[in-house]
Parts: sequence; C-alpha cells; structure tokens
Amino acid sequence: MTAVLELRNATKSFPGVKALDSVSMHIEPNEIVGLIGENGAGKSTLLKVLTGIYQLDEGQVLVNGREQKLRSPRDAFDHGVAMVFQEQSVISTLSVAENIFLGREGEFLVAGLINKAAMNRAARTELAKVRLDIDPATRCAHLSFAQRQMVEIAKALSLDTRIDGDIVILLDEPTSVLEKREVELLFDIVRELKARAAIVFISHRLDEVIDVADRIYVMRDGAVVQEVPASTADVHDLHEHMVGRQLHHEYYRENRQRSELGEVALSVKNLSSKGHFSDISFELQEGEILGIAGVVGSGREDLARCLAGLAPPDSGEVKAAGKVANLTSPRRAVDAGFGFIPSERKVEGLVAPLSVTENMTLPAPHEFTRRGLIRFAHETEVAKRWIDRLRIRTPSPRTPTQSLSGGNQQKVVLSKWRIAGSRIAILDHPTRGVDVGAKEDVYEMVRDMAEDGIAVVLLGDTLEEVIGLSNRILVFKDGRISATFDAAVGSKPDQVDLIANMV
Amino acid sequence: MNDRTRQLIRDALPVVALLAILGVIAIADPNFIRVENLLTVTADTMTLFLMASGATLVIMLGSIDLSIQAVASMASCIVAVMLPELGYAAIPLALLAGVVAGVVSGISVNRLRIPSFIATLAVSGIATTVAYAASRSSAPIARATSDAYLWWVAGESTPIPGWPAVENEIFVGVVALVLLSLVLTLTRYGRLVRAVGSQERAVIASGVNVDGVKLVTFMISGLMAAVAGLVMAARLGSGSPTLANEFLLPAIAAIVVGGTALTGGVGAIWKTFIGALIIAVVRIGMTFLGVTVLAQQIVFGVILVVAVAVTIDRSKVAVVK
Amino acid sequence: MPARLDLKALAPVAVLVLLCLVIWAFSPNFVSINNLIRILNQAAIPMVLVMGATFVILMGSIDLSVEGILSLCAVVTAALVMNPVSADLASLSAPVAAMVDANIGFLAIPVAILAGGLLGFVNGVVHVRLKVPSFMATLGIGFACLGIATAALGGFPVRISDRAFRQITLGRELFNVPNGVWLALAAVFVAYVVQEWTRVGRWIYAVGTDEVTARQSGVPVERTRIIVFTLAGLFSGLAGVMAAAQLGQGHALLGQGRLFTTITAVVVGGTALTGGVGSVLNSVVGVLIVVVLTNGMVLMGVETYVQQGVQGLLIIIAVALALDRSQLDVVK
Repeated sequence: MTAVLELRNATKSFPGVKALDSVSMHIEPNEIVGLIGENGAGKSTLLKVLTGIYQLDEGQVLVNGREQKLRSPRDAFDHGVAMVFQEQSVISTLSVAENIFLGREGEFLVAGLINKAAMNRAARTELAKVRLDIDPATRCAHLSFAQRQMVEIAKALSLDTRIDGDIVILLDEPTSVLEKREVELLFDIVRELKARAAIVFISHRLDEVIDVADRIYVMRDGAVVQEVPASTADVHDLHEHMVGRQLHHEYYRENRQRSELGEVALSVKNLSSKGHFSDISFELQEGEILGIAGVVGSGREDLARCLAGLAPPDSGEVKAAGKVANLTSPRRAVDAGFGFIPSERKVEGLVAPLSVTENMTLPAPHEFTRRGLIRFAHETEVAKRWIDRLRIRTPSPRTPTQSLSGGNQQKVVLSKWRIAGSRIAILDHPTRGVDVGAKEDVYEMVRDMAEDGIAVVLLGDTLEEVIGLSNRILVFKDGRISATFDAAVGSKPDQVDLIANMV
Repeated sequence: MNDRTRQLIRDALPVVALLAILGVIAIADPNFIRVENLLTVTADTMTLFLMASGATLVIMLGSIDLSIQAVASMASCIVAVMLPELGYAAIPLALLAGVVAGVVSGISVNRLRIPSFIATLAVSGIATTVAYAASRSSAPIARATSDAYLWWVAGESTPIPGWPAVENEIFVGVVALVLLSLVLTLTRYGRLVRAVGSQERAVIASGVNVDGVKLVTFMISGLMAAVAGLVMAARLGSGSPTLANEFLLPAIAAIVVGGTALTGGVGAIWKTFIGALIIAVVRIGMTFLGVTVLAQQIVFGVILVVAVAVTIDRSKVAVVK
Repeated sequence: MPARLDLKALAPVAVLVLLCLVIWAFSPNFVSINNLIRILNQAAIPMVLVMGATFVILMGSIDLSVEGILSLCAVVTAALVMNPVSADLASLSAPVAAMVDANIGFLAIPVAILAGGLLGFVNGVVHVRLKVPSFMATLGIGFACLGIATAALGGFPVRISDRAFRQITLGRELFNVPNGVWLALAAVFVAYVVQEWTRVGRWIYAVGTDEVTARQSGVPVERTRIIVFTLAGLFSGLAGVMAAAQLGQGHALLGQGRLFTTITAVVVGGTALTGGVGSVLNSVVGVLIVVVLTNGMVLMGVETYVQQGVQGLLIIIAVALALDRSQLDVVK
C-alpha cells in the first residue's frame, strides 16, 4: 500500500540550527500517528514542511507516492494535506460556514454572488463529521475554544469530499487548550476520523498519545530516534529516547557552582495568571541559579515575562530583596532589581541599529546622564570595561549591535543589566541562536553573576543546560510546578527524571 | 562595501540631488545662483522647514503628525488677533497653544492607544476650530504692530558688513536647526527617540518611560508648527485659519525626501533642512522651466510616493497596512 | 437571518437615539418633516463616501484621498456636462479643453465614476506593489488629485448649466425626497450586497482580522487590497458626481472637510480602525450620528467652525472607547 505521506531524508536548517536532520517517515492511509519530542526536537518544523510553510533544503516530500513541492498551505491543501494550527486561526467575524470554506467560496457562486444557503448546507455536512451541531451561519466570535477547534478540524476535513485519494490531517498540540471533557470528545472524533483520513498529531502528553495513536515517532535534535507501535510503547522507554547526550560537567562550569548562598533575593507566593500559570510559589537566594524546565505552553515563559513586568499577574505576591514588587510595567520591574534577558534578543533585548555603548547604558540613566545631557566619555569608559571583561568581539564601542554575532549580542544584553545593577536576572533561553563557542562564554557569565550575588532564574534551551547550570530545578507542567529537584554538584538529576514530570 | 559607507552614501544623496538640481537650473538661467537670489529662496523655505522640523522627530519615532498645518494656522490667528492686545505676550501664547495641541496628541496616543495618524488628524480638527474661534477669517497685522513685535522675523539684518542683507527668517531657521540638532545628538531624550523608532519593544523591556518620550516629541512638533505659523503670519502680514493648509504634504515630503524614513529610527534635522530646500528648488525650477501647475502637483505626488517607497525599511513592515 | 450588526453596533444606535431625543428636547423643530428631509439630504453624499471608506478600514488600511478623488471627479463631471466655459480660454491645456467643450450629459456620470475607480486603483497598486503604507499612498495621490482639480481649470470653478442634469440630486420624484437621497440608499444597498454576498466582501473581513490565515487559506490578499481601494475610488467618484450636481459646479473645494466627516462617521459607527470588525450598516448609523449632531448644533445656534473641533473630539472619544487596549501592544 502506498503511503499517503512520506518524507525521505528531509533536511531543513535555519541560521544556527539544524531543525530537521535527514528525517524519513511514512504515514499510511487511515492511521493515527503520534509525534513526540522535547522542545526544539523538530516536530513543529516537520509539520510545517508537510503543510507547505517551509520548503526542504534537502530530501523529498511524497504525497500518495509522488514527489511534490508544496509551496503554501493552500498548495498542500489542494494535494490533500490539511493542518490545524496550535494558535487558533479562525476568523471570528465570519460565520462557521465561511471559515470552513475560506478561500474556496468559488464552489458556491451564482452570478458572482455567494449562495449562502448552499454553503450552509455543505457546511452542515462537514460539521456532522466532527459532531458539531450548530447553525453554520453562527459567527465564530460566539463559539467556545473547543467549538472553534472543531470548526478548524471541519475545515481540514472538508478536503475529504473534494479530493480523490487519501487525505492527511495534521494536528499541532490540539489538546493543550482543552478541558479534560473536551479532550475526550476530541479523541472520540479523531478515532472516528480514521475512516476518512490519516491523522498526525503532536502532543506533549504521552498518556494521551499512547491512548489514541496507532504508531508513535519520537524525535530528538531534528532526527527520528524511535518508531514504535502504540500498543507496545512504554512510557519510560519513550522518555529515554526523548532526552539526549551525556552531561559534560566542565561545559557547564559545574566547578563554579556555589553551595553557600546569600539572603533571600526573590520570594514568589501563589502567583497566578489566568490561562498561563497558577499558584506558583518559590524562593530564590542570592547567588543561586534556579532552573525552570517545561515544554512550550507549560507556563514557564509566561512566568519569566511576568517577572520582567511585561505581563502583570492576576494574583499573588512577589517580593524582591524583602520589598513587595509591583510588576505592572517593565519600569517597575527594573526598579525592583529585575533584569530580563529575553529569548527574542533582536526584538526585546537590543535596539539593533544602536551602538554597543548605547545599548549597554539604556536602562541606567542616572549614571550616564547629567541634566539631560549624555556623559559620553563616562559611558564609553564603562562600555570599554565591560567589552574587555566579557571579551565582547566588536570593532569599537560605537559599532551598531546588529553587526555583532549572536553570541556577542547576548553578551551586550547581559552587560546591560550588570551595568544597571540588577540583582535578579531572568534568563529566557539565553543561548538561543548563539554558536557553540559563545555558549560557553555565556555559561561563564552566568557563573560570574551568581558569584556576584545575583539571583538567577534560568529557562534553559535544553534539559542538560538546565541541569548543568542550576542549583535547583523547578519543573513546570500545564501551568503548575509539577516537581522540584535539588541539583547540587555530584547529585544532579537525570534528564529522564525531568521529562517524566514535563510530559 | 560595508554598512558605514552605504549609510554615508545614503545620507549624501539628498545633498547631491540638491546640488544637481541647482546645477540644472543654473544652466538654464545663471541668474538663479546669484547669492541674493539663493538667500531669498532659502528665506522662503524657512516656514516649510520650521513646520517640518518638529515633525521630523515624530517621524523618527515611527509615528506621524498630521496636525502641523492646523497648528500653524492656529498660531497665526492667535498672534494676529492678540498682538495688539498683549504685545510680546501674544507670542508665547501662540507657542503654548501649539504645545497643548501636542499634549493632546501625545495623550491620545499614550493613554487612549489611538494610532498617531488618527489622533493628530483629530487634533487638526480641534486646532482649526480654535483658529476659527480666534479669527473668523483672515486677520491682518498692522504694519506698525509687525514692526514692533515681529521684527525679529519679518525684518532683515546685515550680520556681515558689506555682504547682502539676510532676511531674519533664515536666522530663526538656523537657530531652530542648531537647537533641535543638539537635542537630538547630545541628550538622552534624543537618543531615546532614535531607540523607540528603531525597536520600541526593546526600549520598553529595558524599563524606559517610552510614553514620556512620545509625549515630549509631540509637544516639540506642536511647538515648531506654532513657530512656523508665527513666521508665516509675519511674512504675509496676516493670520488666517487656513493659512498653512497647503503645507502639510510638502512638509512631510521635505522630511522624507531629506532621507528620514517613515519607518522611524533614522533621521536628522539637517536632512529635513536639505529636503525642504529640495522641495522649494524643484517647485521654483519647474516654474522656471515652464512646467504647468497641473503637472507640478502630479510631480510632487509622485516624488513623495517614490521617496517613501525608497526610504522605507522593508524589514520593519512585514504586513503593510 | 444573519445578524451583521456587531453587539457593539447597538451602542451607536443607542447614541443616535439619545442624540435625537436630546436635540428634540432643545429644539422641537428637529422632528419637522422639512428638517428630517434636510438631514437625509445632508447625509446623502457622506453616506456614499463612507461606504467605500468602510471597506478600506475593515481591511485595516485607511484612505486619505477621498477629498481629492471627489473633487477631481466633480470637476470632470462639470467639464463634461454643459457648462459656460469656453475652450478658447488660453490657460486650458488641450485635453482639458476637449473635455470642457464636450457635452455628454448623463454619460458624464459613468465616466466620472470610472475615473474615481481608476484613481482608487492607482491607490491600491501603489500601496500593494510599492509596499507604501496606505495612509501615505492615499495622502500623496489625494493631494495630487486635489492639485489637478485646482489647476486644471486655472482655479476657476466650472458652473453646470444643464438643469436636467442637476435633477439627479436635486429633483424630488418620490415622496418629495430629493433624488440624491435615493442614490445614497442605492449605494448603501450595493455596498451591503458586496459586503455580504461577494467573495471580496468576505475576504475583506479575513484580511482585516488575520492576514496570515487568510493567505494560508488561499485568499488572494493583494488582489483583495487593490479591489477594495478601487471600490472606494468608485464610491468617491459617485460622491463627486452628486456633489457637482448638488452645488451646480465643479470645484476643488467641494471636497474640503469631507475626509474628517467620513472618518468620524466610520469610527463613531463602530467599525474598528484596526480592521476586521464592523460593517457598512454600522457606518450608516455613524453618518446619521454625525449629520444629526451637526444639524442639532445648527438648530441650537452653534457656529459652524466649532463642528470640526467637535468631530475631532468625537473621533478621539469613539476610538478610545472602541479600542481593545492590550497593555503592551505598540501603538505608533
């Protein structure tokens, strides 16, 4: 039997990272395939290749046995591949029927006008497939999250009657925003859908995947590392395959990890933000590095942004150095001593066209301004000091930061907060987009900060990074802390232990 | 060729263009480049420059100010009507009105989250109403009043003995040029204007009071528009609620043609100075060469669109709305 | 029956009703037949302009060229219809002279409307192909149109001497209501049909709400943008014809102040500036609010120049109330 969809040696790279590394996989008609893996394993990239958003650098995509170059989601759609995205993409001002047939209204034209009655009738047929019993003329703004999910699936399914041959539906984390009851309903429907289409879905909840899928692929670092029938899948085994290499103790400068820590620098009590995280409590001491592990959507990124003042919480208390911190704006957060090193460096970390010096002195007006005028000599002197200390490779302090490499840009961001005197550093994926050599420099800087008594909250890129660098580790899952691990040198937890609490 | 050289060339282009256009006109009529004539042209251009000078900062922020012409007209009315009653005090009054207009725009953008082009469009309506409230139609300024209080704008001086007299508008313009340029290059505020225009989110995340930067910028824009209105009133000998209506588009054109990109983050006051001169010289040149007024309007529309298309930073506008 | 009025649209209707009641309290004349007809008459041309503007704003763009296109089309109309201007006027260029001499009567209507459409098309192409933000593109083209309208006839207005032609807005065939009002209603009807029952109408909402999804679903985003600006140009052209007929002349100043009224009406009616939310029916309510307010001010003896200021305040209030303010969204 020809596979509905097949990837042969698919390779896709982005600057600095190989997202897909010679991946080969096949999807048979009428089967449910689960795709699991850690953050950055390549799952999303893979789906995006299958739906035409990305094109492969090497390798082939075969649809029903024939090689195809899918150039856009619409293109993929016309070939029988439809995707339901993690971020809801229903147009709320349009009706259910109009969303299902968006871009394909031509089917229902009579003398240039849309025959709404006919479109609604056709929509009812599609809605029946997902057991959604609503009036197709209803505006999507009035639907619940789960209902909108179903509309999107119905949109994908409408392929069924319009394409010869088998179709494939791709679901990216379809359950992450659903309640328990709705998840059950979704899985019932997915099982029914098997009759009409092959289904590939990504989820970080292994129990769900094993429950629904026929076969499971495990991805890691852009490659497929395991393929197993769900009936014989073992959770622990899956965990083992999801995590990676051996820990290199020197790489993370574990010899510099402090064990004597200072006063409590940060105290978080019952912090909640609706829809993101709830009831988060922890304390952090001066000089301590607290690592936070969790998959996308676990709430850890939202917590980081909350502490940076970019997303005020709904309830709870945060105290920095004993004083209550009002996190309603980045200004207040900075005043309270927080320094945020964001994951999107070029958007929130640096003002790219401005020089190294200008970026370094941005949050610290008092030191570098006298009566409104810039103290040029002083700021250049301070900048030079930090350029030397952190070995930042730049032709001059006046070079625009956009000319620097990723690693050096990150060093500028880190110095910015050191210069501003932050006592609590929030590092959100600090080595993202930084080449291997520079990563070690970043680790040194993190150790430097800890040595200087700064309290560090670290959202690591990889599990090993989190384990290697941290004194203590919090694991987030679905918006709550699911486990705490002590990570003292010599008794570091295994990655598998972490994963077990993440997925 | 590296980034710095490329930037230098981009900066120099408008200057080169200006010289080229002057050259072309000079060939047709060498009289044009006599010093007296050039000085007159420059003096005539000062109102346009003054109006566009403050707005340059707004555009460097990545916003826009569509109220400058209304504010200028409003200032001209206030001055025309109030000079006889308040004497010199009428001048700061008019300038204050401009600043207040800027405050309204700034608050609308900051607190009410209204996009600047709508907010300033609305403020232009309010300013026009205030202008009409001051003076129903054209309000003349008596010669004597003008000589008494507006000599520093309307008259001429001879700073260098033996050289031709220089009309005072040029001094006003040069002072504005110097002051604003110093603010832009030497103050933290100036640096923040560039930063906010380049990558506002990073500036916010760094804890800077971005709202304050925007408010001050709109206030400066309002102030300079009022100054322009003052100068116009002095030159024309009257103030009117529609005095500056024709100047909105040329002012924006001057900013863009001078090399300040609409997308923000880059720009300079001297560039607007050059841009204003280019606009003026092109207009005069076209008249010289017998191009009809009709065609001139089309040419200006085209120049503007082309300048925007060329200077806009495409990487910043993923979705062009 | 599909409810095309947002829930938020009920607010503008409430405002309109409230406004009427308040004005009636101050001035009983308000509800006289003559006054009501006057209101409808004054609303006619803005109503037409607003139809096109609504489509543009629904997409998340803006059209600042309405005054220019209206004026130019009015001048074109006046020139093509019987008028006392002679082509012997030395200042006229050849093509203009030819137009002025021509007297094509009612045929001028489709010609002028098409001219408007063509100008709107230019707006769309410049915006889409050159990636110039819509406010800039339309500002420039509007300015150029205004300039052409002024300069084409050396600054002189062109009077229309064809009485029959002027009846298209002034005549009162049905129920003693001026024809212009019926034209406006027809324009609203056409706009509504386009909005609800054509693909472009549906695509406008998609593009205005989530362009990425729209594109991924196969909606031709660029083509939609160009079509919408062309549509807006057609409506502006029609408005220009109506203005020329109503005032009996073609003149560049016919457009003055209309941009303001148009945007105020759209915003006050409940269509969001960010796009994706609203409807032409919302804008009908918006126009009525603005016109009734103006009418009320006149009845209460308020000076005309205050109106622009009031409209400015109205825009600010309406946008401020309607906007879904998320704290750290960057507003430029």
